[in-house]
Parts: sequence; structure tokens; C-alpha cells
Amino acid sequence: MFKRFAPYAIFPLVMTAGWATANELNPDVSVTLDGYYKQNETALSHREQGFGLGHTELSLSSPIDDLFSGRLTAVFEEHDGDSEVLIEEAYLQTNGLPYALNVRAGRFLSQVGYLNGRHMHEDDFVERPAAYRAMLGSHYYDTGARLNVLLPTPFFWQVGAEAFAGDQLTEGEEDIGVYTVNTRLGGDISLSQSWQLGLSWLRNRHAKSAETGDGSHDHDHEEGHDHSHGAAYTGENLYIADLVWKWSPDGNNREQQLTLSGEYLYADELNQFAASDDTNEGWYVSGVYKFAPQWSAGVRYGEVDLQEAHGDHFHNQTLEETDVMLSWSRSHFSTVRLQYTHQEATGFSNADNTLMVQYVMSLGAHGAHGY
Amino acid sequence: MGTDMTLRNAVAALLLIVTAVPAQAQLRVFACEPEWAALVRALVPDAELTTATSHLQDPHYIEARPSLIAAVRRADIAVCTGASLEAGWLPMLLQRASNPDIQAGRPGLFFAADHAQLHAPHDHVDRSMGDVHPEGNPHVHLSPDQLPEIARALAKRLGEIEPERAVAIQGRYIRWRGDWNGLRAEWRARAEALRGQSVVVQHSNFGYLLRWLGVETAADLEPKPGLPPSASHLSQLLANPELEDANAILIASYQDPQPGEWLAEQTGLPVVVVPGTVTGEAPADTLGGLISEIIRQVESAAAGASHDGV
Repeated sequence: MFKRFAPYAIFPLVMTAGWATANELNPDVSVTLDGYYKQNETALSHREQGFGLGHTELSLSSPIDDLFSGRLTAVFEEHDGDSEVLIEEAYLQTNGLPYALNVRAGRFLSQVGYLNGRHMHEDDFVERPAAYRAMLGSHYYDTGARLNVLLPTPFFWQVGAEAFAGDQLTEGEEDIGVYTVNTRLGGDISLSQSWQLGLSWLRNRHAKSAETGDGSHDHDHEEGHDHSHGAAYTGENLYIADLVWKWSPDGNNREQQLTLSGEYLYADELNQFAASDDTNEGWYVSGVYKFAPQWSAGVRYGEVDLQEAHGDHFHNQTLEETDVMLSWSRSHFSTVRLQYTHQEATGFSNADNTLMVQYVMSLGAHGAHGY
Repeated sequence: MGTDMTLRNAVAALLLIVTAVPAQAQLRVFACEPEWAALVRALVPDAELTTATSHLQDPHYIEARPSLIAAVRRADIAVCTGASLEAGWLPMLLQRASNPDIQAGRPGLFFAADHAQLHAPHDHVDRSMGDVHPEGNPHVHLSPDQLPEIARALAKRLGEIEPERAVAIQGRYIRWRGDWNGLRAEWRARAEALRGQSVVVQHSNFGYLLRWLGVETAADLEPKPGLPPSASHLSQLLANPELEDANAILIASYQDPQPGEWLAEQTGLPVVVVPGTVTGEAPADTLGGLISEIIRQVESAAAGASHDGV
């Protein structure tokens, strides 16, 4: 083992220059511009009707030294004329601890599910599936710590756990409001096919003490985005199963790629009044085909079956959503997307069909993407 | 009793899978591109190699797939091009694999470009220029003059990782170097006949070799580096007077041949599809064989073109 570690002292750190540019000591700066036009208001949406700005991000990242790297991501949002800056990521990350352990601490995106750990600008559709919007607030991020280990198996097998303050999901008294456990398996089927399976459990210790409203049958508030960015439909236990399969001829995903993905989310023990059969449930399946280097087309279908808390009882709500999209990317850094969304709902008065046009532009450094 | 045995066997099997200790400590190498896998094979023939990309794949655009993360996790050393060629996926692989040996700045991460003089480095780049690497053209594996230096540095690094085999690795490097010098002399002689010829390319991946051979680049099918050929750019190319002197359209086997074929129809130039890197099959299964093969194809295209002219 000594031979592996001894040379560390000899090799100077400047070798990180592998992909560094001229301003080597400055952090990499990246800005994501996300803007859209949306024809109609839709249910469970975080994007208002008309012209709007979506997830505008400013991100700084850099190696800190040979052991740590860090990232800060600020998100600029506007709601009803109020501007706000949210800290979405502010974390340190270890690089190569012994036994392939990996620690992240600070504020970051939870790794539950397939989409949650990804940055929103990598998505193939304008918004996340309804199940994500309802049960995770589109993307659940919080302040806490993560420990992952990659097992030394011939295939990919990662096991990880996270602990969070939990207040970004549900406000509460516990110091550690949320725990998650996650495992991921994956591999190649052939030169052209690969897959990944994930199983996650999120324990929300604040769910039982969640605000359930006064129970009055005032249906107005369901429309209103009450401006919490957390999830509106939570439960003490959230289970997620996700599966992704990708195909490209000869594995050359520059030219063509088909991505099929699906997730199932299930939450129970919704709050202190919940009976055992009060549960939230949602799923989606998505197929995106990149048929030319600059063009992608995709279809996504998803459903949610939710219980909206009204004091000591619940109102059932369901939403079925179909999205069809076409996107064009001039380069790796620019995307323009046209999407049509069809919604059918019970218990949501603002469900509608809508056409959306969106752009997502990356300025500056462009970090490597995950699978 | 039966179930007991089954259980014990199952546990033993599971332990075997989880620990996966190789019977004999083979050097496990993760190569980002096949050219470096070939170089490692020349220096350490019994290395256990995983190659992230093939000659049919564009190395700029590979995804950080689960299988690749697992392979980096298990490797003793990763051998890559560097110079931002793998910027879209290698950093993610290194972070996800969390292999303490294979991290930026540690000996287990070898970048060929760190040991080469890259062509056309830029002090200033911005994205309107396309996917230009500030460090210079990273496709250095086809440079007959730079490969020996890269091989020398790689042999030294492999020897540091596996000190007990350092002498054997050095011996193989010296033999490889001798072979290479012989090949290079042969290519030098063949280059005489090619000097002044010109080809249309798609991207700068053959740049080092073409420049070494003295073959000029008449035009690039890509409107900007990294952008796929567009109809408007192709029709502009038709008006390019340098196209008159071109002998062939040179395409790598991972590239979409349609733009080149379209231009071929318009101009009558032959399309020559050559592997952009080492393939699993002879003659292009070694770096030397690959360069010989590319030169052979360019020669035959040039010969064909001059026949047409006569």
C-alpha cells in the first residue's frame, strides 16, 4: 500500500492543470439562463403563465485542495414581483477518501430518486414530473451531510445515506428532520445499452407535526403557490424506485441516443391525522430520443394520487399529465425547447393544457454531467 | 444440512463477489481512449484493461455511465488524453468513483497531453468560437513525434505505480521506441509523395498527423469546432476555391458520414473513412498500425485523385 501513497508528496499539485484554464486559481463560474413563455396556468406548476424566468443559476465551483472541492449555487427567482435569492448548493465534497468513501456536507440536492440529484437545467422537459412537483417540491435540497460508498463489485453498486435539517421539506423542531438511504446499481448490457436502478427511502421526521390548515373548506389556497419551495405533499416515509435505460448505436451518444426512464414515489404516514390508507402516490415514464446531434424529441406520461391535508381530514386529488417536447441544441451549451402539456385532474381547479417555449443557456464553465 | 451447505456456498459466493480479490495482482488500468489502452498494452501486456470509448464513439461526448464509474473504482491508474477532451465526463467519473489513487494531482491519473506540445493553444477562448480547447488540440495520439515522449512518461509513471515491474516496463518501452523509430522513418519516406496534397476534414482529429505528413487541410466540414456540419456551411464550402486542390474527404469512423458524402457528390472527391483511433482489429490494432493504415488510405485516395486528373 505504501507505494500508492508515498509518491503523493513528490507530485506537485499543479498537475490539476489537466483541465484548468488560464485563470487557474479562480473558481469556475457558470451561469444558467432559463426563460420561458407559457400559454396557460397549470396545476402543481412552479411556472406562472406568460413570460417568465425559470431556474436562473449562478454557480461557482473549484477544487479547494487535493482532498476537498466545493460548489456554491445561488438561484434567482421571482414570484409575484418579489425577487429572491436562494442558496441551492453550498457544499464541500471529498475527492477520493480511502475505501471509495465519499462525503458531502453543507447544502446540496438530496440523491433520492433519479431526477432529484440532477440539476434542473439538465432536464429534458420544462418542468419535473407532477410526482416530483407535489412530493419533493420539484427538487429537494437541504442542509446536512452525506456519506456514500462505492462497493468494489465488478458492476456499479453504490450505497449512501444522508441526514438533513429537514426544514426545506417540512418545517419542524427536530435537529435532524430528514434521513435518506439510497442504493444504486448499474452497468452495461452491451456496447450500445446501459442501465441504472435506484431505490431510496426518505424519512421525514417533521411530517407528523406539519401544518395541516384550519380545516375550513376554502379551496382557494390550493391554487396559490403559498411560496414555500418545499413539497406540498409529504409523509413520514417516502419510498422511490427509479430505472433508467439508455441506448445509442455503438454507444456513440453524440449522434443518437434513446433514454427511457421511470420512477415510482410512494409516501405514507402523511401527518398526525392520517389513517393507514391515507397515502400519496405518483409515477412517470419518459422516453427521449436524440435523433440527431442537435435534436431531441420526447414524451412523458405521469400520474399522481394525492391527499391534501384539511385540518383533521384529507381531500383526494389526482392529476394525469402528458408532455410532448421537441428541443434543439445549437451547441452543448444552448437549448431551445417547445413543449405541449396536457393535464386531466380531480381536485385541482387550475388543471389545463398549455404550450410552452423554453430556452436553457449555459454561460461559462460547464461541469460534467452525470448519467 | 442441504440448506446449510447452500447457505454457506451462497455466503462464500457473495464474499467472492464483494471482495473480488484477483488471484494475482494484475495491474488494473482504466484507459479513456483506445489509443492509450494500446500504449499500455505495449508496456504492460498482462494489464487488466478497461477502455471507456471505442473508435466508433466520439470521445468528447461519452456519458459517465455506471459501468465506467465501477471501472475507475477498481483501477490502479487511469490513462487519459487531458487538455479538456474528457471535460464533459471524466471529472464526474473521478468524483463518483472516489478512488483515492485516481484523482487530479495524484500519480494514478495520467494525462498524455501533459507530456506533449499541443498545437494551437489559445490565450483567449470563448464559446462563440465553438468547442475550442484553450490548452490546444487534444488529439495528440496521431502525432508521430510526440508519442515517444508520451510513451516515455507513461512507462515512467507505470513503473512508479508498480515498482517491482519498473525494469520490465522500461525494457518494453525501449523496444517500443525502437519499433516506433523504424516506423517513423518509413512514414517519413512515404510523406515525401504526399507533401502538398490536401484533404477536407471534419474536426481537427487528424490535425497532428496531416501536419506531420505535410498534407494540407483544404476545409473543415464543421462550421465551428464541435458543431455538426450544417447545410448552410456545406453550401458555403462549395464556393471555397481551396476545394479545387483537395484530393479527398477524410472522415473518422465515429463521425456521421452524410455531410462528407453530400460534399463528395457535389465535388466528385472520394470519401475516405479511417478509424480515428486504435480498433480491435489489425492493422489498426496498435498506434503504429493505425498511423500506417491512415497513411495508406490517404495515399490511395491521392493516387486515385491523380489518376482521375490524368
